[in-house]
Amino acid sequence: MKRNNMIAMILAGGRGSRLYDLTNKLAKPAVSYGGKYRIIDFPLSNCANSGIDVIGVLTQYESIFLNSYVTVDSRWGLDSNDAGIYVLPPREKAGENLNIYRGTADAITQNIDFIDNENPDFVLILSGDHIYKMNYDKMLREHISSFADASIAVIDVPKQEASRFGIMNADATGRILEFEEKPAHPKSTLASMGIYIFNWKLLRKLLIADDKNNKSSHDFGKDLIPQMLKDNRILHAYKFKGYWKDVGTIDSLWEANMDLLDPQTELNLNDETWKIYTEDTNDLPQYMGPEAVIKKAYITQGCVVEGEVTGSILFTGVKVGKGAKIIDSVLMPGVVIEEGAVITRALVADGVRIAKNTVAGKAGSEHITLVASDIKEEPKETPKESAKESVKDGKDSKDNKSAKDVRPAKESVSVKEERSAKK
Amino acid sequence: MITAFGVISASDRVSRVEGLEDYRPVGAFSFIGRYRVIDFMISNMSNSGIDQIKVFTGSNPLPITEHVGSGRQYNINSKRGHLHILFSKHAYAYNLYNTGITSYKDNIDVIEQMPQEYVVIAPSYMVYTADYAELLQTHVESCADITMLYQAVDTAREEFLTNYTLTTDKDRRVTSFEPNNGAAKSRNIFMDTYIMKKTMFLVLIERALKTSSLYSLANIVADSLNSLDVRGVPHRGYLASINDFLDYYEANMRLINYDAAQDLFKPGWTIYTRTNDSPPTRYLETAIVTNSIVSNGSVIEGTVENSIIGRNCVIERGAKIKNCIILGSTRVGRNTLIENHVVDKHVRIDNIKKIVGDASYPGYVRRGDRI
Repeated sequence: MKRNNMIAMILAGGRGSRLYDLTNKLAKPAVSYGGKYRIIDFPLSNCANSGIDVIGVLTQYESIFLNSYVTVDSRWGLDSNDAGIYVLPPREKAGENLNIYRGTADAITQNIDFIDNENPDFVLILSGDHIYKMNYDKMLREHISSFADASIAVIDVPKQEASRFGIMNADATGRILEFEEKPAHPKSTLASMGIYIFNWKLLRKLLIADDKNNKSSHDFGKDLIPQMLKDNRILHAYKFKGYWKDVGTIDSLWEANMDLLDPQTELNLNDETWKIYTEDTNDLPQYMGPEAVIKKAYITQGCVVEGEVTGSILFTGVKVGKGAKIIDSVLMPGVVIEEGAVITRALVADGVRIAKNTVAGKAGSEHITLVASDIKEEPKETPKESAKESVKDGKDSKDNKSAKDVRPAKESVSVKEERSAKK
Repeated sequence: MITAFGVISASDRVSRVEGLEDYRPVGAFSFIGRYRVIDFMISNMSNSGIDQIKVFTGSNPLPITEHVGSGRQYNINSKRGHLHILFSKHAYAYNLYNTGITSYKDNIDVIEQMPQEYVVIAPSYMVYTADYAELLQTHVESCADITMLYQAVDTAREEFLTNYTLTTDKDRRVTSFEPNNGAAKSRNIFMDTYIMKKTMFLVLIERALKTSSLYSLANIVADSLNSLDVRGVPHRGYLASINDFLDYYEANMRLINYDAAQDLFKPGWTIYTRTNDSPPTRYLETAIVTNSIVSNGSVIEGTVENSIIGRNCVIERGAKIKNCIILGSTRVGRNTLIENHVVDKHVRIDNIKKIVGDASYPGYVRRGDRI
């Protein structure tokens, strides 16, 4: 641990069940975003850029991929001496059974020994599934100068949306007076970003007390923070300005990707002073064929475009065949769109292959179509216009193959199955 | 198990690449946007299971050192493997005595200490993919003293003019080995790639030094055709030898066609390079991009046709890039036409609205220029 005596603990155990098939075999922080990234690259890169070099990643749900992904700490430059990313899944301890993490606070409680080993002055609690760029060191400076017991990063949200968030009511100095989870009538527009800085000694005490409290759900937002307010602790609101997105649904994941098409977007990924680091995939540069049409697009290496791409994001290794049209869509890594296929307002999951002259998604649809399995060439008698919307509600999704399971050409999830799922 | 270490040779080229080579050796040239020329030879070695690689730098070692670094990007085992950059004591530009052989001699102890029995020597100014493990197998089975890689071409009148050519008999023995004089169109172009025992390499270095202070490895091998068993092995696929400016331009442009590029980029044969952590490229509403290769980190608002765009470039609205290679971090201002040019890194083109070169001999814009 260097410089600021703060370590970060990233909560990365959630499924993100409203992402349906995308998170069947993948924890939400590992979901692909922005052409070449995964969501957890953002908090990890923010840490690396903020001078935080010891990071614990708390994993639980479908953690195999996520664990192996974050362990390669050299990707974020966190492989120097005394630095590192530590994967912390639930574990069996002497004299105890294997306890799963019961809540966000419990995940930290169960790793008190890990934090004690590092012996930091401060602990930064982060969520592994938010997209934003933030200098945590600035937040720490403010935390120290405000003599707070804990600081919570907040962001100004539009008034009409405030009741979707945990709202902080603070005085002029930034001291938090009240915290309301999803209030019907919000008194302020400062929403908690789920980013906390605690003085470790105090947090340690609070966690042990919370652990013994049978009524607690062992959650930072629901239990720990309200308890601290009750105890009259100093909680400081650190105001963050800039891009911040919690991508909980297919629609919002699609939208967050679309934000990158706007050259004026607040999320500037071209900023040399605050790069977002990720896996290097060693792909070829982008190939644009002689008949390619590319307008308003965000495209990364390994892509080969021979058709038309408008208002879309193409992730690593996507192939778009001749005459194919990609409109307002997000194509995740390794997607293959064969000749003449048309994709509109869709999010196509990793590795899915869309056969020649088929159609997915619909212009003007209320929701974004999630395409999580291969679309095979249609039998002659089937009318072309029938949009093959993949399932979007939980109860159907088990019938469908997960995104990760899909391997081009091997899958036989038929058009028929998708259509029946639609009913 | 047969083991070999790799040597990326210090160049004995007699030609120069106008413009670009003023700033860096050919190995450090940008190649189709995201690569450097030297990435291909080092990746060939890495993919062939060679994880001890000696990179000899020529007269300007800095750009290679900067790019190759510790070599970790080449997927070499970080404990058992090692990429070693070696400098020559005679490394000043255009020095008569600055030959490949002298740079080997300067580092002779390093070569002597290598535990591997064989050495694979490959150049830093060529681009091709080849499996050296296969080549090594062929070499050992043939019991030859030296095995050389070559490619049959029918463009030897116009291209490969400073390269060596060779002829072989029916047992693949090399019967003649001499510079390409451009007299015939069909020739076997030597790919400046050798396999031999380490001990043979050491003998050749000493023999070359005794014969002439200016001898290259090729010179001494040519002298030894009667006394040694020298064999040739043919190679097929993409091959570029970047001897001059036109070679560089054409070597890149040939790869714009994705199908043609499959001749170089083989499945399972990754070409590694240093990551730059650039974001994807943003294409705006007004972009028109056809038949081109584009690297990450760029913003494209104008027209790009039959061109290669390097990392972190900005092509502003109304600008048109045609038949060009734009190296990294260059900005082309609004309504500017650039045709048939290689534009070096960190260039800003604002004030001049038209830069058009000859299709048969493209122009060059210097690094860091304001135009």
